Amino acid sequence: MDSDRRDNPAMIRMWRIYRTAKEMCMDRGYQMLEEDINISLAEFVDRFGKEGDHEPDRSRMGFSAKPSEAMLIKYTDPPTPKVPNPQPQIGEIWIDFSGDENVGLKQLRDFMQHLVSTSYYSGILITPKPITGMALRLLRGSTQFEDGPRGGVETFEEQHLLVNITKHELVPKHVLLSKEEKAQLLERYRLKETQLPRIQVTDPVAKYLGLRRGQVVKIIRRSETAGRYASYRWAI
Amino acid sequence: MGPKSILKSSAVPADAVDARKPPVNEQHLQVALQHANIIQDQKNVEQEILNATLELLEFPPDSKADPARPSPSDAHKFKTLVMPFQPNDYDALIEERNCADLCGYALCPRPRKKVPSASKLHFVDSRDRGVQIVPKKMLEVWCSDDCARRALYVKVQLNEEPAWMRRTGGGQEIEILVENTEALEFALPLRLKSKNKVQGELKDEDGEDIAAAWALADEALAELSQERGDKDSMPRTELIKAKIEERTNVKTPSAPSAETTASSAHMAIEGHIPKSDAKKTKDADDDEEDNDWDD
Repeated sequence: MDSDRRDNPAMIRMWRIYRTAKEMCMDRGYQMLEEDINISLAEFVDRFGKEGDHEPDRSRMGFSAKPSEAMLIKYTDPPTPKVPNPQPQIGEIWIDFSGDENVGLKQLRDFMQHLVSTSYYSGILITPKPITGMALRLLRGSTQFEDGPRGGVETFEEQHLLVNITKHELVPKHVLLSKEEKAQLLERYRLKETQLPRIQVTDPVAKYLGLRRGQVVKIIRRSETAGRYASYRWAI
Repeated sequence: MGPKSILKSSAVPADAVDARKPPVNEQHLQVALQHANIIQDQKNVEQEILNATLELLEFPPDSKADPARPSPSDAHKFKTLVMPFQPNDYDALIEERNCADLCGYALCPRPRKKVPSASKLHFVDSRDRGVQIVPKKMLEVWCSDDCARRALYVKVQLNEEPAWMRRTGGGQEIEILVENTEALEFALPLRLKSKNKVQGELKDEDGEDIAAAWALADEALAELSQERGDKDSMPRTELIKAKIEERTNVKTPSAPSAETTASSAHMAIEGHIPKSDAKKTKDADDDEEDNDWDD
């Protein structure tokens, strides 16, 4: 990037975070535009820079994403006699960049109410600083929390999205399995799901992929002897 | 369905064990229940604290309330809500209120103080401690020093012990630093009313004395039971029984027969016969002969 003026470090920082957030949505299976993901710094400054000073305007950076066909299928349970045509457990997502320095219960609740009122299925809040302990507690119980959106709310710190961790050479490829694939896997190896190795939902890659408890990921590594080696982990 | 297992089905022996030793399993059940109840208690208390925090976040309801002279209903509500808190929960509440740009003291509706300069650290000159360097954040917690005093007055009274471990349930009454003490004391109608109902008939000329005496006695009894740690608020099943049961049918010991020692002698490790092996042998020749050597 060879621009005549020196860019604001805060702007560059925000640009990288924005791109990682977009890539994260694409890796999860949401529909994304190619040019949105590869947005150049100059264009980013153009679109999201504040007038006058070159500070990023976080309130304008929020975006929504619709799940792709493949993702919808992946998140739909196989039909059962009781539920002949099940609904996908996924929907439109809203990603918001918090402008407040400190995010506490109040901001988080406002965000949740915003998601519910605009009927998004789930949401991601990207905050400049870690959120408060009480807000974390609210998040943990938010599946039962009647005010929250159905798909739950995730939060990320800006600092953790500066770099896309899945592009690091030591991070193997993680592929989420659908319910059906999971059942096939368990039958193929005659396992119960409790007999699989585990991965925590707080694991960085699991957070990146937005894994939910009970889902299984296939982890594909390079192996010197076997070429490719696949292992499976159960998210807890 | 997968192919049928060639292994012996384990359902039958498991059932047999169940039938033979119900007390053991019952005890396991009780232990499991006990621990599950403890965890459930913890969750309930956490939820309660979270809800209280959410409520105190928008406290007081009247935006012109005076923290020095809170209305009786506000004060009462604050006291009851803050009862299950630990000091660190209270700190979290202050933090949350600051995030919402309010003074940290929950009975104060004013916004928190803003330090005009942007520097992170500030000099504070106090008479008793001299000049100190204080982070800006610490200066912006309260609206005034009075509110800080009032809030910390509550904090030091909070119980360090988590609410689910407190023997007396809720915890003791919390005092708040107010100027209109008389007004607040006057306004505790709930408790007085219920007492009047019980001793309603005694309200004659000297009935009031009697009622007062009764109230005192009740109070003393309640205090006593608190001291003793009576758990009327949280009835829990105890695992340890105070009653000692004697074992009634004790057989006279019999000398070991030569036959049994001979059959298991090869299993012995320095005279001790491992249990798992013993069980296997027993299962194997259950249907053939009934010469149990370990009954």
